[in-house]
Amino acid sequence: MAKIITVAPTRMELIKLRKRVALAQKGHDLLREKMDALILEFFNILNKINAHRSKSVEQLMNAHKALSKCLAVVGTVETIQAMRESKRESKVDVSTRFIMGVQVPIAEAKIERGILERGYSFYNTASAIDRATKEFELALLSLSELAELEAAAYELAHELDKTKRRVNALEFIIIPTIRKNLKFIVMRLDEMERENFTRLKRIKAILEERK
Amino acid sequence: MISEKFLEHEIANLNVHLTQKKISLKEAMLSEKPHVQTKGGGKHFFKRDELDFLKEIVSDEDLDKLLLPITIMMQLKLGRGSARISGIIEANVIGKILGKPFSEGDILYRPEVVTIRAKLPTTTEYLFLP
Repeated sequence: MAKIITVAPTRMELIKLRKRVALAQKGHDLLREKMDALILEFFNILNKINAHRSKSVEQLMNAHKALSKCLAVVGTVETIQAMRESKRESKVDVSTRFIMGVQVPIAEAKIERGILERGYSFYNTASAIDRATKEFELALLSLSELAELEAAAYELAHELDKTKRRVNALEFIIIPTIRKNLKFIVMRLDEMERENFTRLKRIKAILEERK
Repeated sequence: MISEKFLEHEIANLNVHLTQKKISLKEAMLSEKPHVQTKGGGKHFFKRDELDFLKEIVSDEDLDKLLLPITIMMQLKLGRGSARISGIIEANVIGKILGKPFSEGDILYRPEVVTIRAKLPTTTEYLFLP
């Protein structure tokens, strides 16, 4: 169903609409530029996520291999004992950075520890436990980097969605509506001018007839 | 009908992530947690490995002249995805990363912007200009 145009066909309204369409166009162009940049960032991060994910999986496989070797060489009881004695806290510095107004986290983990910092006794444990621990520390480091990237991708995707909606609203609804209204006012004003011209011609003809 | 206030607000908020005051690479290297304050009031932290990478490609006398974050100016009049770099030393750094001569007024094209952002995600920032 055709929509009824409700704007007043006046010159003031015409000037106002021209300003509004210029502003909307500027906003659209800038938001589209932002959307392009967000897409670049998003795909950049997606590529990094893919690379990191395979690295993390590989590291976890190495860690589990080392653990299996440790269980076989040292024994289950000793390994579990060392596991209970080990310190479980790891230091992760979480800070923030901004990508076009989107706040994304930076996680800098300090997970690799020395033998003395791990908590279990190095006197009565085998080197296989140290190797397994080191592999798991590396896996944890890789996972923290992956978590940082995934959080960034999530935030960017959310912002991208918001920006896309705005760009589409401007491009397909707001700007065409203002342009349609502008066209209507121009046509109406032209029509009024033609009416006025005909009226004046008619008055002139009547006055000349009276003479 | 849309309100102009909404659009003006959107345009004004486009560059709210820009920093209030830039810091030199030397300052950032000396700082324990290198960061800058954004116009929106947030804190933007730099990654230490990026600072180390920049230190390797910048000469010693330019360490306190290179201001971070490097601004990538996305200008609509240059065309979609094209940008410029503000600052002579900053432009030289970008040239070194891209592996080609690059000066302040030169235009960066989209694939180059991607390369720069991939290498320096925290030490560069976007500026949107009409």
